[in-house]
Amino acid sequence: MPEPLIALRDVSRVYRRGADDVHALEHVSLTIAGGLFAALMGPSGSGKSTLLNLLSGIDRPSGGDVVVAGKRLNDLSEDALARWRSRHVGLIFQFYNLIPVLSALENVELPLLLTALDRRERLARARLALDVVGLGARAAHAPAELSGGEQQRVAIARAIVTDPDLIIADEPTGDLDARNADQILRLLLELSHELQKTVVMVTHDPRASEWVDIVFHLEKGVLKETYAGGAGKARAPATGGPP
Amino acid sequence: MKYLPFVFRNLFRNKLRTALTGGAIGLAMLLVCFFMTMPGGIDRLLSEISSNVRVSVHNKGGVVYDLPSAYVQRVRGIPGVAAVNGEVWFGGAYEDEGIVTFPSFAIDPDTVGAVWPDYGIDPLVLEKFRRQRDAVIVGRETMKKYRWRIGQQVSLVSTIWPVTLAFKIVGEIPNDRAPHFWMQREYLAQALEAQDRQLDTVGTIWVRVADPTLVHDVMTRAVAMFRNSPAEVNAETEKSFFASFFGSLQSFVQIILVVTGLVALCVLCIAANTASMAVRERSREIAVLRAIGFGRGVIFGMLVAESVVLATAAGSAGALLTYAFSAMIRTLSGSSMGGTEVGALTGFLVTREIVARGIALSAVVGLVAGIAPAWGAARRPVAETLREVF
Repeated sequence: MPEPLIALRDVSRVYRRGADDVHALEHVSLTIAGGLFAALMGPSGSGKSTLLNLLSGIDRPSGGDVVVAGKRLNDLSEDALARWRSRHVGLIFQFYNLIPVLSALENVELPLLLTALDRRERLARARLALDVVGLGARAAHAPAELSGGEQQRVAIARAIVTDPDLIIADEPTGDLDARNADQILRLLLELSHELQKTVVMVTHDPRASEWVDIVFHLEKGVLKETYAGGAGKARAPATGGPP
Repeated sequence: MKYLPFVFRNLFRNKLRTALTGGAIGLAMLLVCFFMTMPGGIDRLLSEISSNVRVSVHNKGGVVYDLPSAYVQRVRGIPGVAAVNGEVWFGGAYEDEGIVTFPSFAIDPDTVGAVWPDYGIDPLVLEKFRRQRDAVIVGRETMKKYRWRIGQQVSLVSTIWPVTLAFKIVGEIPNDRAPHFWMQREYLAQALEAQDRQLDTVGTIWVRVADPTLVHDVMTRAVAMFRNSPAEVNAETEKSFFASFFGSLQSFVQIILVVTGLVALCVLCIAANTASMAVRERSREIAVLRAIGFGRGVIFGMLVAESVVLATAAGSAGALLTYAFSAMIRTLSGSSMGGTEVGALTGFLVTREIVARGIALSAVVGLVAGIAPAWGAARRPVAETLREVF
C-alpha cells in the first residue's frame, strides 16, 4: 500500500458563533494515499469544506492532528502555512476565481511569483501548465473571453503550475454543464493517475463518484462512510480509507 | 519588482475611479505646491525691500509716536554705526486726492546715499538733492503711477503739518517697487518756522551698521541708551520692521499654511477612501491570493504599493504642472513681456525643491492612506474571508 500523503487523526473543528459553539467537524480520522483521486461528499453543512480547509492548511483544527506530506499543520503560523501552501497545495474553486485583469497565462504565472524563478522561467512553466490542460492557444486571452469550462481549466493549470503534492478542488464542476464537468473530472483523474498528484475534491455531484478512487461521506461533521469510487474499483486494491 | 506589473494592472482595473482619484490628488498637489511658495516668497519680498544691516530705531510706543531729533546725533555715536538718517512723516496728499497714496518723508539729504546705498540712487541725483532746497527724490513706482517726469514740479498737501509745499523732482529711486517720496528735512523745517513752529522731532531713525555681526550689538546699545528716558525706543532690523509692519501678511501666511495642511488632509482622505474601496471590491481575489500562498506581507505590500503609485504619479503630475507654469512665467517675463523681470515675485514661483517636496508629500499621502486598508486585508484570517466570499 502506498504511503499516506494525508493523515487526519481525531480532528475536530469548532466555530464560535455568538454565544454558541458550532461543531463543524467531530473526531474525524482518515488517511489518503499519494496519487489518489478522492471525493468528499455529503449534504450541505456536513463539514466537507471545513475538512478541505484543514487539509489545505487554510484553517487549523480545534483538536486532533492534521499531517500532510509529512508536515503537521496544527502548529504552523499563518505565514508559515501560506509558504507551505504555495509549495505543496494547488487550489481549485467552484467559481474559478481567476484575476480578471490578468491574461490566462498571467493567472497561471501568479503562484510562481512566490518562487525565486525569473520571469522567463515562470512564463515557460505557465505555458507548459496551460498546454497540459489543453489551453496553450488561449494563453493571451482574458478570463472574460473564456468559457466556464476553459476558465476552470486555467484554474487547474494555476493549481498545478508549482508541481504541488496535493490538489484541492472545492466543487470544481458545480458551475459547469455536464459536458464541461466531465472534461474537468477527466482532467483531474489524469492528474492523479498519470502525474501521481493527490486530488481531493468536494462535490455534490453524485456522478462524480464514478470518476474518483475513494469517497468519504460526511454528515453533520462526522465521517459516516468510506467507499471505493468508480475509478477506485478499477484500481483495486483500495488505497485509502479510515486508518 | 516582480509584483509591479500586477500592481499596475490593478490600478487600471477601474479606470474612471483611478482617473478621478488621480485628478483630485493632482489638483490638490498643484495647490499645495503653489501654497508652499508663500512663506519663502513673502520672506524674499521682505528681503528684497529691506537690508540686513539697516536698523530701524523708533518710539517704543509705536512708529506713530515721535522721538526727539537730538536722538539722531546720539545714535550716530554708537560704535559700529556707519550712517544715520532721521525721517519725518510728511503724509503728503497729491492734488485733489485728499488722501495719502504714497509714503512721503522729510529726511537728511546728506546721508541718504550712506544709509540706503542698496537703492542704487545716482550720485548726481543725490548731489542735486543736497543742493536744491525744494528737491525731491521719488520712487519709480510712484513716478510711474502719476506719470511724473524728472524736472517736473509737484505740490503736496501735508495731512500732518499745516503746510502745502511745491517740489521739483530731481531724480528717482531706480526700483519698480519703490513708492518713496523724499524731501529735504530743512525745507519742511523752514516752512514750519514761517508759521512759528519748530521741527524738533523725528519719526524713525534709520541706522546703517558697518558690519552685519554688529547689528545685534548696535540695537542693544540703542535701546539701552534711551532706557528710562521720556521716549524709550525699540530697535529692529529693517526686515523685522517690515515684517511687523506687514503683520497681517504673516497671518495670511499662517492661514495659507493651515489651508495647505487641510488640502493635504483632504487628499489623504480621498486616497484612503479609494484604497478602502479597492480592497473591499477585491475581497474575493485577496482571499484567493492568500489561499494559493501569498503571505500577509506580500498582500500588504502590493495594496500599499497601489496607493503609493497612484498618489505619487498623480501628485507628481500636479507638482510638475506648477513647475511648468512657473517656467513659462519665467520665460515670458524674460522675453515676450518686453524683458520685464519678475523680480521679488520670483519667490512665488515653484522651484525644483518645492516640486520634490510635493512629490515626496504625495508618496507619503499614498503610503499613509494605503496602510490601514492594506493592513486590515492582510491580517484577516484567510479561512474567515473564504467563508464570507464563497
